[in-house]
Amino acid sequence: MLLPEPMSRILVIGAKKRLPDTIDLLYNLENVHVIDYQGDEEGFTLGAPLPEASEASRKLLKLRSAERYLEISSDSFEGKISESKIKSDLDDNIARIEEEVDLAIETKNAKQAKLSEAENRLSQLEPYRTIPLDIEMYWGYNNLRVLAGNIRSNPEQALKESLNGYYEIFTSKDGSFVVLFVSSKYTESAQRILSDSGFTEVPLPTGSGLPSIAAAELDKEIQNLKDELEFTSKEIGVLNEKYASMILSSDEYLSNIVEMAELPLRMGTSAYTFILEAWVPTSSYENVASAFSEKFGDAVYLELIENRGREEYHTDEYEIEMESGMTTVEAESISIKDDPPVRLEHGRNTGRFEFFTKLLSTPRYNEIDPTITIAIFFPMFFGLMVGDVGYAIPFLILGALGLRMCTTPEWRGIATMLFYGGIWSVFFGLFLYGDMMGIEFTHAAHAKNLVSGWETATWSSLLGIEIPHHLFTIPGINFDVNLGYATKLGSVQILLYGSLWVGIAHLITGLAIGFYNLTIRHGIKIAIMEKLSWILIMAGFACLLPVVIDVLVLENDAALSLTNMLLLAAIGLFVIGLLLALKGEGGKVLIDLPEVVSNVLSYTRLIAIGMSKAGMALAFNYISIGLIAGIGMENVEPTTDIVMLIAALAIFTVGHLMIFILAILSSGLHGIRLQYVELFKKFYEGGGVDFNPLKIRRKYTVEE
Amino acid sequence: MVDNGLIALSAGLAVGITGLATALAQRDIASAAIGAMTENENLFGKGLILTVIPETIVIFGLVVAILLWLNM
Repeated sequence: MLLPEPMSRILVIGAKKRLPDTIDLLYNLENVHVIDYQGDEEGFTLGAPLPEASEASRKLLKLRSAERYLEISSDSFEGKISESKIKSDLDDNIARIEEEVDLAIETKNAKQAKLSEAENRLSQLEPYRTIPLDIEMYWGYNNLRVLAGNIRSNPEQALKESLNGYYEIFTSKDGSFVVLFVSSKYTESAQRILSDSGFTEVPLPTGSGLPSIAAAELDKEIQNLKDELEFTSKEIGVLNEKYASMILSSDEYLSNIVEMAELPLRMGTSAYTFILEAWVPTSSYENVASAFSEKFGDAVYLELIENRGREEYHTDEYEIEMESGMTTVEAESISIKDDPPVRLEHGRNTGRFEFFTKLLSTPRYNEIDPTITIAIFFPMFFGLMVGDVGYAIPFLILGALGLRMCTTPEWRGIATMLFYGGIWSVFFGLFLYGDMMGIEFTHAAHAKNLVSGWETATWSSLLGIEIPHHLFTIPGINFDVNLGYATKLGSVQILLYGSLWVGIAHLITGLAIGFYNLTIRHGIKIAIMEKLSWILIMAGFACLLPVVIDVLVLENDAALSLTNMLLLAAIGLFVIGLLLALKGEGGKVLIDLPEVVSNVLSYTRLIAIGMSKAGMALAFNYISIGLIAGIGMENVEPTTDIVMLIAALAIFTVGHLMIFILAILSSGLHGIRLQYVELFKKFYEGGGVDFNPLKIRRKYTVEE
Repeated sequence: MVDNGLIALSAGLAVGITGLATALAQRDIASAAIGAMTENENLFGKGLILTVIPETIVIFGLVVAILLWLNM
């Protein structure tokens, strides 16, 4: 279906002692999207989690901390574990993990702390290494000050002049570090001199013995600690391997328990009863209802509140809210919040394009799911822009491989684009442009020599075989199927003109969908004023287009006379559309009006991008085939030099590889942009909520 | 008859200047979009759309250049 699946709102009421069983059933149905309780029923408050939640959360916390310390990722998982096994082993396992992991982590942390302390001490000792004084010598003086630090210039001369010999100085081997012993009464002048030489003080060493010996010992200690740490890390790695599967599966098992036990947080409860509202797909309401009556009989009450239609009745609420001082945005967002969740249903091929819809936003409940338009137009536009069999075949291969091997949605999206875009590229490459690697199969009637002095190569002339230009005639309508009707660089005018028509058709499709959306939401009257008006304006523009071309390009001024039916139709449609739109939307229509032209002109990119790539391809082909290999050049014989041929092939390959990558980027981006910006603006609102039913998620566990 | 060189020059200017204009506009939009995306990855689609909107400028430039080239 084009619209999201119809949804029904249900109400479940029961006695509290049935709550655990009800939650079980809700999760087993896998079809119930819970509406969070808003606190609007008298006598009901938000529920409290079931008692098992706290115990499970506590265990989960332990597991998660072990998971973090052991750096367990989903890659290290192997073999699913059955739920009953997890359940029976859980407590033992957690105790064991706690013990072993805690021990390993504690050892690791202790060693880490020791190591950083030793490294600290070493860095303190480092400058004193080359000074031949015991560490004890730096301490314990009454009338001496010891100043140690880094300097930029040698202060000895200045010290000699002003301290009268009441000092002793030691300098490190490289001269950047000094230790000055100076009489207390000269401290101040010594400090002044030192600061003139750029002195920065460092703390005095602690410990005993010669610094060089102490530092060497520290070196050894650090090395030992590093070895030990490595060993501990290996042990942790072993623990990781040993417990990864167990931890991941237990985590999943416990998470499910916690999630289920916390479901009452989304319900309303009183002392003895609970109340829950939810959405279910209308088609499966019967199943849900019968499952409830089968399990509980009359003990739990299930009621169908409504089968939600697509119309929107928020005008009254809207006005009340506007009066109460809310802005339009707030009022709108309230109506969207009440929307049912959206479940999109597609076949396999269209479903692959769902990624592109969701990339923008999930559709609302009461609008046509635009995935189908993306699935049709996006690959088609991609193909129009690439339009080359030579690039299309690698696209097809890459796309097919990607769809087979990729699992992340992003890469699958790109593979989808390449595969389906590739199909259209082959189609347009063969039948519209007759192109492979920017070289035509045969010269179409209107192809011209684009580079002077070089007879543009064709596959027919390069391979020396006869390729028929005319393939066959479709009987009945008498249509000739040719290898190419237009060339990207030779028939620019007609292609540009064609691209405008593609744009008009695309935009009218969008407006027609918008018309339908508005009809189901607000009725046909509003739809006519807000969308049909624009369809008429667009149709008026379509009638005007040939007239404009007639006057501007063919310079046929007679087309402007009022006897021209097209011109009259254009003016008529335009005026009727404009009046309707003015009545429906007011003055802002006049601001939107120029968009008609700019939107349609925007589609010229379909050809402009194809052309720019064809231009690049022509340049590389001319350099490699024409200039280097000498094929098709005037007054030059084709080269037989093997080196030249290899060079030609290299340039040909590198050049086309570059165009190939650019083709993916620009065709893909512009193809999707035309959908998002030009098409979607005509009808798409988005902002719906994904249908997210209660469901036990199993990745690492299996049910019995 | 207008000089072909002048037409070629104008075509080049049409593409070049509109290219610069697009780049300037996209610089600001893209950096803002990336900023928004780091906050919320779901904004990628919207960011992409906003970023490619100014591309229309350079496409128009290209179309003008093509029309000029056809008159050569």
